[in-house]
Amino acid sequence: MKNLESKFDEIYKTNYPKVIRLCLGYVNGDSMLAKELAQDVFIKVWENLHTFRKESSLSTWIYRITVNTCLSSFKKGKMGYMTNELINLENKIDLEEEQENNELQISQLYCCINKLNKDNKSIILLELEGLPQKEIAEVMGFTHEVIRVRIHRIKNELTKCVTK
Amino acid sequence: MRYKMKTFEELKSQWDNQPELETPKEGAKSIIKKVNSIKNKQQITNIILGFTALILIVFFFYISAYNNILVTSALFLMVGSLLARMVIEYISVKRLKQIKVTIVSSEFKKSLANYYKKRVRTHYIFTPIIVIFYIVGFIILMPFFEDALSKGFYTYIQVSGIAVLLFFIFFIRKQILKELHALKELNK
Repeated sequence: MKNLESKFDEIYKTNYPKVIRLCLGYVNGDSMLAKELAQDVFIKVWENLHTFRKESSLSTWIYRITVNTCLSSFKKGKMGYMTNELINLENKIDLEEEQENNELQISQLYCCINKLNKDNKSIILLELEGLPQKEIAEVMGFTHEVIRVRIHRIKNELTKCVTK
Repeated sequence: MRYKMKTFEELKSQWDNQPELETPKEGAKSIIKKVNSIKNKQQITNIILGFTALILIVFFFYISAYNNILVTSALFLMVGSLLARMVIEYISVKRLKQIKVTIVSSEFKKSLANYYKKRVRTHYIFTPIIVIFYIVGFIILMPFFEDALSKGFYTYIQVSGIAVLLFFIFFIRKQILKELHALKELNK
């Protein structure tokens, strides 16, 4: 048991940053909700750790739990908050420096990701996290070809939306 | 002049450079604690319903209700509806837990949508029957409660009976709306 706990502790520390980033994408950048989601993810990781059989890499396994947890949570994030934030930032944009510009663009990105359907949202978030397409296919349960085509389509959709 | 992102590579670079949220220091330990507390909480609803059913059963013997077919039927309806609700919830939670969170996402989504479809069907068919049985049982029992109990206790039974019913309806309504929303989201 102690062994499992220390293994879990290591998994937690190593994977928390990427899990929380993925969660942020599902809840419109709302950090409170993302933290709740990340907590749910690690609860499931802990509950299922003894069943992990190394059929896939640990990282794929954790991404799968993260995507499935986010799919089943239906937490939306504060759309209004993000929109207001966006307007405020837009008003300030000429006066502020690179940091605000970056925040604005991230907010826009979250808004545009949120407009995608559940599957596409998961796929593009994994792509943004830099996961190889083969691994995305393993997480999602689609063929590599389907993922390749979808990513191409979503990238276009997303860049158009952000550039609007 | 507003900066416009043109390529996905630029979006990716923005994504990579966003500020990171700090990893909680004792995060893993608090998760393990949380798992144990969730297990306890899951039992509370069933304990409350079970306790209500137990009170009704005790009352059944206390007033020797088995001598009166009407009282027996009324108590049977009330206890039965509470027990039926507990059994449905128990089966439902078990079904949800059977959907493995570690399977591929497309399969998980399908299983989840099926689960919610069944839940919604259950809500529309069984839940109204259960609530009606509970109300009918309660109404039939009222005159017997009035005869057998002191005025204070009778009032308590009236108020708590209605409160339990209202809680029951409010809770179920909230649950149904949540599950309908979940189903809609999954089918998007």
